[in-house]
Amino acid sequence: MKLPEPILTKRIPCHPHADPKGRHIVSYDEFVKTGGYRALEKALDLEPAQVLATVKDAVLRGRGGAGFPAGLKWSFLAPDDGKGSRYLCINCDEAEPGTFKDRLLVDFDPHLVLEGIAITCFACKLDVAYFFIRGEYHHQARVMERAIEEAYAAGIFGKQGLMRGKAKFAVECHVHRGAGAYICGEETGLLEAIEGKRGWPRVKPPFPAVKGLFGRPTIVNNVETLAAVPPIIERGVAWWKSIGVESSFGGMASYGPKLMGVSGHVNRPGCFEAPLGITLSSLVNDYAGGMRQGKKFKGAIAGGVSMGVLGTDQFDAVMDFDIGRRCGVLGLGTACPTIFDEDTDMVAIARNCARFFMNESCGQCTPCREGSGWIYKLLTRIERGDATTADLDLLVEVAGSMGLSEGTTICGLADGNNWAVRTIVTKFRSEFERRVKPKFVPIHLVAR
Amino acid sequence: MSWKTHLSGTTIVPRPQVQLCTPAMKERWQRELLPRYATSHGALMPILHDVQHAYRHIPYAAMLEIAAFLKLAPSEVLDTVSFYEEYTTEPVGRCVIGICQTFACEICGHKAILDHVRARLGIDVHETTDDGMFTLLAMECLGSCDSAPVALFNDTLHERLTIERVDRLIDEARASVGHSQVVHS
Repeated sequence: MKLPEPILTKRIPCHPHADPKGRHIVSYDEFVKTGGYRALEKALDLEPAQVLATVKDAVLRGRGGAGFPAGLKWSFLAPDDGKGSRYLCINCDEAEPGTFKDRLLVDFDPHLVLEGIAITCFACKLDVAYFFIRGEYHHQARVMERAIEEAYAAGIFGKQGLMRGKAKFAVECHVHRGAGAYICGEETGLLEAIEGKRGWPRVKPPFPAVKGLFGRPTIVNNVETLAAVPPIIERGVAWWKSIGVESSFGGMASYGPKLMGVSGHVNRPGCFEAPLGITLSSLVNDYAGGMRQGKKFKGAIAGGVSMGVLGTDQFDAVMDFDIGRRCGVLGLGTACPTIFDEDTDMVAIARNCARFFMNESCGQCTPCREGSGWIYKLLTRIERGDATTADLDLLVEVAGSMGLSEGTTICGLADGNNWAVRTIVTKFRSEFERRVKPKFVPIHLVAR
Repeated sequence: MSWKTHLSGTTIVPRPQVQLCTPAMKERWQRELLPRYATSHGALMPILHDVQHAYRHIPYAAMLEIAAFLKLAPSEVLDTVSFYEEYTTEPVGRCVIGICQTFACEICGHKAILDHVRARLGIDVHETTDDGMFTLLAMECLGSCDSAPVALFNDTLHERLTIERVDRLIDEARASVGHSQVVHS
């Protein structure tokens, strides 16, 4: 399964369509020469409601992890009461381990994202856009700042109105740099960070579409989601729906291309654009050059560590939004799998994941704050060989008790910890059992 | 670990006579940053980035000045500073080496590099050399897993690291600290 032509990576050479050696930052002039900002022009000829309806009809599912349809999210916006700004926040926090897809877009084709931002602001009547980028992306923040300057100079943004005043509606766009906190990738944590506070997620409802940044209606979207908006506007809903797959459970379909970053034990790790519905084995063999040193596949992080792991028998897993139900993971996530070969120590991987969540828990909810440290300690003990089988059961119990789905935390960070640890332990249980000592119960207690 | 608590009851805040936030800085904040946000609190993070960059840490005295400038309580400034890992209250080295330790880098050999840097600089993770030149950090995923193992040297990302390359980078950093761009190997 291969895309007939690159869509999001039209200007970024990627395997298998082109050689990545030719990558460079696409400037405003080059972007316009290669058909850029045409979709914005087309959108400005329509009514905002028509643009919104197009994106809604296309079932553009969010690319940030949850897969919530962008058009539907936009339609939840509170009506404009004229009492102040309405905001668009672009989530480029990309701190999910294993994920590096938004970086590709921002690194080389920032104007594609800006075009998506302009169209979204027009469709939803949002007048200020904040591009939230994680603190560690220094170079990318500078690239984006320069691109925004170019866009202002070319009259895309600014007081005169979108597209040199073609629309009366004016949009301001700013970069806001994070400062090294994974939790700011959670949409309400991100809002807190832009407000200058600690990135503690808010209790929902009210949802950001009603009461978000500075108490005003706000839309938070991922970079890749916004980058997919211009192609949809330019080429239409029918074309978008011709890529991807229908849901095998009769649920919401997975349409469109998706950036998938493959890392780990493969010959040619990198970010590729593939249609949703591709199998993991095809992604590894046809795009990433196969397993390194011809070794066997052992497992994979499904799509960002929070989604859990795929087992040895799930190499042919279909990468679409149904993967969660089909393969016993949380979901598709960011669709950036990390591949492990047969020599990988899964206990060490579990310990590494647990350390990540312990370091990145924001400390707001007790089950996550305390549980993540507890899990890490249990896993280091198991790795050292000092634990008993009872510890293994305790590990699964602690992990399974925290998260949004268990109703014990405010945000989904703990669910990530929960799923990562539980899926590794269930799918590779024998490896864990080999590392733990049996728990002996004194016989006189049993006899009684 | 953003939620680690420190005993702060006995903290003595030095109040130097010199102004840490210079009039030039304040003028730039007033002109560029404040109009971007609906509240003055919103401009806090970019201002803290500025101060962290200028002094390699955020002195308590600077927090007081920022609080006065933004009309916030000093505790609100401290709240934000203490939460984010990029802001420090103690000076970091002129070259901050942040080695990624998340699993994609771990399975591609981050440990050897981390141990080498540790031994060569004679410091442990989260420590600074006595000459104030290097700070070593073990960081979580830097978003460049396809080119693991990776490390940040100040704000420059270095990909596909080997021990020889790290050695060279440390030598170069000794010679000059500053410039930034992604170095694709």
